[in-house]
Amino acid sequence: MSTPLDLIRKKRAEAVSRIISKGYLSTKRVYVGMATCEIAAGSKEVMDVFREAVAKGSLTDVYLSQKGCVGRCNLEPTVEVVEEGCNPIKYGKVDKERALAIIERHLKNGEVIKEWVID
Amino acid sequence: MPRRKEFIVTICDGPTCIHKNSKGLERVLREQLEKHNLSQTVRVSLSGCLGMCKQGPMVIVNPGYTMYGNVTESDIAEIVEQHLVKGKVVGRLVIQEDHLYNRFFRIFGDAKFFGRQMRIALRNCGLIDPECLDDYLALRGYEAVAQVLTNMTPRQVIDEVKKSGLRGRGGAGFPTGLKWELTATQESTEKYVICNADEGDPGAFMDRSTIEGDPHTVVEGMIIGGYAVGATRGIVYIRAEYPLAIKRLEKAISSAREYGFLGNNILGSDFSFDIEIRLGAGAFVCGEETALIHSIEGERGMPRPRPPYPSVKGLFGKPTLINNVETWANIPVIILDGGDWFASVGTATSKGTKVFALAGKVVNTGLIEVPMGTTLHEIIFDIGGGIPNGRKFKAVQTGGPSGGCLPEQYLDTPIDYQSLMAAGSIMGSGGMIVIDEDSCMVDIAKYFLEFTQSESCGKCTPCREGTKRMLEILTRITEGRGAEGDIEKLDRLGNMIRKASLCGLGQSAPNPVLSTIKNFREEYEEHIKQRKCRAVVCKNLISYRIKDNCVGCTACKKACPVAAIDGTAKNKHIIDQNKCVRCGLCMSTCRFDAIEKV
Repeated sequence: MSTPLDLIRKKRAEAVSRIISKGYLSTKRVYVGMATCEIAAGSKEVMDVFREAVAKGSLTDVYLSQKGCVGRCNLEPTVEVVEEGCNPIKYGKVDKERALAIIERHLKNGEVIKEWVID
Repeated sequence: MPRRKEFIVTICDGPTCIHKNSKGLERVLREQLEKHNLSQTVRVSLSGCLGMCKQGPMVIVNPGYTMYGNVTESDIAEIVEQHLVKGKVVGRLVIQEDHLYNRFFRIFGDAKFFGRQMRIALRNCGLIDPECLDDYLALRGYEAVAQVLTNMTPRQVIDEVKKSGLRGRGGAGFPTGLKWELTATQESTEKYVICNADEGDPGAFMDRSTIEGDPHTVVEGMIIGGYAVGATRGIVYIRAEYPLAIKRLEKAISSAREYGFLGNNILGSDFSFDIEIRLGAGAFVCGEETALIHSIEGERGMPRPRPPYPSVKGLFGKPTLINNVETWANIPVIILDGGDWFASVGTATSKGTKVFALAGKVVNTGLIEVPMGTTLHEIIFDIGGGIPNGRKFKAVQTGGPSGGCLPEQYLDTPIDYQSLMAAGSIMGSGGMIVIDEDSCMVDIAKYFLEFTQSESCGKCTPCREGTKRMLEILTRITEGRGAEGDIEKLDRLGNMIRKASLCGLGQSAPNPVLSTIKNFREEYEEHIKQRKCRAVVCKNLISYRIKDNCVGCTACKKACPVAAIDGTAKNKHIIDQNKCVRCGLCMSTCRFDAIEKV
């Protein structure tokens, strides 16, 4: 008879493999903040820009996910880019134009757009 | 196709760690991986400053989130041989305080903002996809429930919570473990567990963010609470104006059901528990537990005298355990990391951390979580980045409409239930509003009193009538019609309301007024005696003047809605103070900064 703890370990392993099968281990991961506050600041549009880029195939090898509010209210919407072998980057006050620029300049060409980085 | 890798090794690449040879570590790591033929299966990544510079250089191995500190080049070989090849964690290098909260350090970049924080309740907020149960599971989600169901009796769970020293985060700070014990010891075939998510303080958004960022932690906490007190039904009371939080909570509950964390025989045990959501219409008084219970029962949301407390006679007359969102969010960590560890964080009387919604005149407004004992100064000036536009700090308001305003001399007050109370404010649910010299303290007190006055349910006279009279006096003062003796009247009335009101709303409603009278009495006196508002906020006490640098562009004259400005082109204009309604339109229209408020 397996205990609840055994069960949860199994469920966790399954969950991790499901996350990986969604492409978690892509070389780049992009997170867009999507709490009420971020959405009010315009993160839905930003998310749409990234979603569209992934759907159209212009962004490949990217794992896109939403996340909750991290607490940087005055810098919202925020977008995080985690890339293999590079410093992870957090951009603040991202709008549609900035999102497009992040796709073109950062995700496709590896350029960190310094003036928008939160540090 | 994405490459599959078995380990991700992260090396901190912050300035301090670089100084401590993190670049050397990276080089050795790559050499070692090459040597062991692992470079295809292990990925190396760099992180920005993790805010743990004392223990640098830092190396983190995922999955498992093992944190190694003070790593040297020779340690790298050991980590590779032991951890990456054999799968054994190198115990001697693991940072001892590797607790759940350390997950938070994966938030990178702005180490100044996050470095002083410790995230327990918000540990997953901003890290995981809140609508994805898999994300939560991957971070030890629901392990606390499994732990409780496998290894602990309800009594042991309560003892663990008592040991942690956790106190209610909704405002009053009642010891959580004791509350659980009181509910558990009641004999009843039916008991309820309630999550109070009726967050109503102006400027507060801690509970909303917690539920929107990590709804499962609340669900998990409630399941554990249900198990501990012997309840099978849980209810989340949340206000209807939080649609996204409701949506995410609904999704969390339904996926938890799907995975077998809610419903009958949770995780194969003989414990059954389920949660439903009840929407509140957004009345502030419904945050009071007995009013909240009435609201769920379908009655008008009004408090009733206690005792009996809800733990004895609560929802539908049954023993009911009611805790706030943040309290619930702490529970899984207490179970997984132990009450002793939790009690090691914080001060003698207040354990753990507290979430604050930092707002007002501060550079970094935001949602923060700090260990108890952090000073107000650290929060406002280190995490918050100080006051914008070079203005001077005047006061900080904690505890929302039930709290008080603390001036500069209280900045070194450590955050805990007792010391805030001693300073004349309260912890409250976590609103923190920073006030600078451009704000009028009488006006602020009036603002908060307006709020509580309109939210008063009207059941008891002191609160219903008393707050109304206080507001009348305050309005008079801000309109320049204050009279000698008004301050004393406010003081007397306030103390009376405090003592005689039925529930927490009335008992705390005078706090903003009483604390500003105590700490900023001179501003009240100026308003009354000199008809002067030093922050130039109170409309009836200020006037707009045109300065000598007016070029006579006539823009303000055209903008004035009551034709109070006179003057001809290229000559200095004049405002007729008798006609002026002090709307400020001229000042915002002027492009030459030639109009001032005095």
